[in-house]
Amino acid sequence: MKYAIESLGLTKYYGRLLAVDNVNFNVAEKEIFGFLGPNGAGKTTTIRMLTGLTRPTKGTARIFGHDILRETLIAQKFFGVVPETSNIYDYLSVWDNLMFMGELYRVPKYERVKYGRELLEIFDLYDRRHDKVKTFSKGLKRRLTIAMALIHRPKLLFLDEPTSGLDVRSTVVIRNIIRKLNREGVTIFLTTHNIEEANILCDRVAIIYKGKIVAINTPEKLKATVKSVQSIVVAFDKFSDNIIKELENIPMIHTVRKEGDKIRIYTSNPPETLEILFNYAKEKDMKIISINTLSPSLEDVFLRLTEGG
Amino acid sequence: MNFLVRLRYEFEASLAIAKRFMRIYYGRPGTIMFGLMFPIFMFLSFAVGRRVPISMLISSLTTMTLLFSSSSIGPMILPMERRFKTIERLLVAPISFYSILIGIIFCSMVYSISVSMIPIIIGLTIIKIEITNIVFLIIGIFCSAICFASLGMMFASYPTEYPGNVTMALNFVRLPLLFISGIFIPIEMLPEWQKTIAFFSPLSYSNDIIRYSLMGKSYFNPVIDTVFLLLFTIIFLIAGVKINLIFSDSTHRKKKNLHKK
Repeated sequence: MKYAIESLGLTKYYGRLLAVDNVNFNVAEKEIFGFLGPNGAGKTTTIRMLTGLTRPTKGTARIFGHDILRETLIAQKFFGVVPETSNIYDYLSVWDNLMFMGELYRVPKYERVKYGRELLEIFDLYDRRHDKVKTFSKGLKRRLTIAMALIHRPKLLFLDEPTSGLDVRSTVVIRNIIRKLNREGVTIFLTTHNIEEANILCDRVAIIYKGKIVAINTPEKLKATVKSVQSIVVAFDKFSDNIIKELENIPMIHTVRKEGDKIRIYTSNPPETLEILFNYAKEKDMKIISINTLSPSLEDVFLRLTEGG
Repeated sequence: MNFLVRLRYEFEASLAIAKRFMRIYYGRPGTIMFGLMFPIFMFLSFAVGRRVPISMLISSLTTMTLLFSSSSIGPMILPMERRFKTIERLLVAPISFYSILIGIIFCSMVYSISVSMIPIIIGLTIIKIEITNIVFLIIGIFCSAICFASLGMMFASYPTEYPGNVTMALNFVRLPLLFISGIFIPIEMLPEWQKTIAFFSPLSYSNDIIRYSLMGKSYFNPVIDTVFLLLFTIIFLIAGVKINLIFSDSTHRKKKNLHKK
């Protein structure tokens, strides 16, 4: 099998701090691979090592078979990078930013003008191509950052927290673009701490915690590993902090969490817990507005693996 | 990949970087202040009221302009690029790290050469000075621009995100150079110990070759000036690259077999 990325024991120390510890994984061509982890887990350091921005202390990586340490420039031709911060030239126009990237990647002028126009149309930025980027919102900057990473038609796209801090509309636009790119054959490496994003976008995810890969599999297989954690989401017509305290005292309930106007109850025995909840509501003269049993989410897997939750 | 083809690619990348940096950084207040206004104010504060030949004033102003304008661009660009992380855009592109540095030097040189034309054009059109050697004037301006651009780049290689930090450190070197390089007092009139120090200043050679081109007088020799300016350029470039590599965390430090295919 031909891999887009092969991480071979990537390790990074910052002084005495071990930021990334012997990270090994492969990403197949045309795969959307999610790299999940809490803040400071080593996601960005890993992406920086994979793209040649940071030198690993130990180990190496191959991009389409090219060693990132020994054949950096060849490997770099294969990928585009969308960093966590939209690092665009604010004092240049949208078009100039895009064309500058095209020049750096040696895209012939005719091609970069033609494809640049296409990209701006895809990202809904064509009408604003002459505007200076400094006037743009975070969402528009993000779209341009992705367009800039695509100007040389890379086979692999690194996306570091692509939708972090964006509004719903921009998030949906960017997710749709990621799916479209993947359908067209682009391998996606996505780092995120948004579990739901990884769940709906990724073919496989790796979870990194304290610099180590703690799990790597498809989202559904990962969820299956924590089947024991099931939950019930219930909404009563009344709410008080006492309800949470009282529910926590019931033996088969592990954890009770307030989620908006609902209460999430983690239990190993949903049928019996349901019965208890109905009795509890009756006893307290409360009405149940809605009640659902949920199988474990990727978030549960993530919490279990990273916090022992 | 053929070496010449690669060289052409890298040269094109440097030009693309220089072209964009010109548009981004030439209009920045720091560039205008330290690259344009500073040499003019320095010049006026020392020239007004002194009885010196006007052609010497023009050559001194040209040299000072070359020093300040050329060495101010790198210290503006590199820290700003680091601060806004735009340097990382360049570092993940398939171009050599040296192309980025050369792009910055090109950008500095174009600015410096353009700005240094102002006193020369004023001298030629209003004050009616005469150029005694146009070839050495061109060589002198070119070599001074590249030498001082490399000096600026060397200082900017220290990994700070604030242009002010670099400019402050650079001024500790640039300002004393003005007093020991024959800018205000010709080197031949300096005391012996200062003459010895002047030998180690790139500004002495820059001033000497510009003075020779405009006044026909030289303390060293225009050929020696050219050689020493190029020598200083090489020293500054090597030092700049070394400093960059010491602090850089990118894999560019270990790039081997570049563009093998």
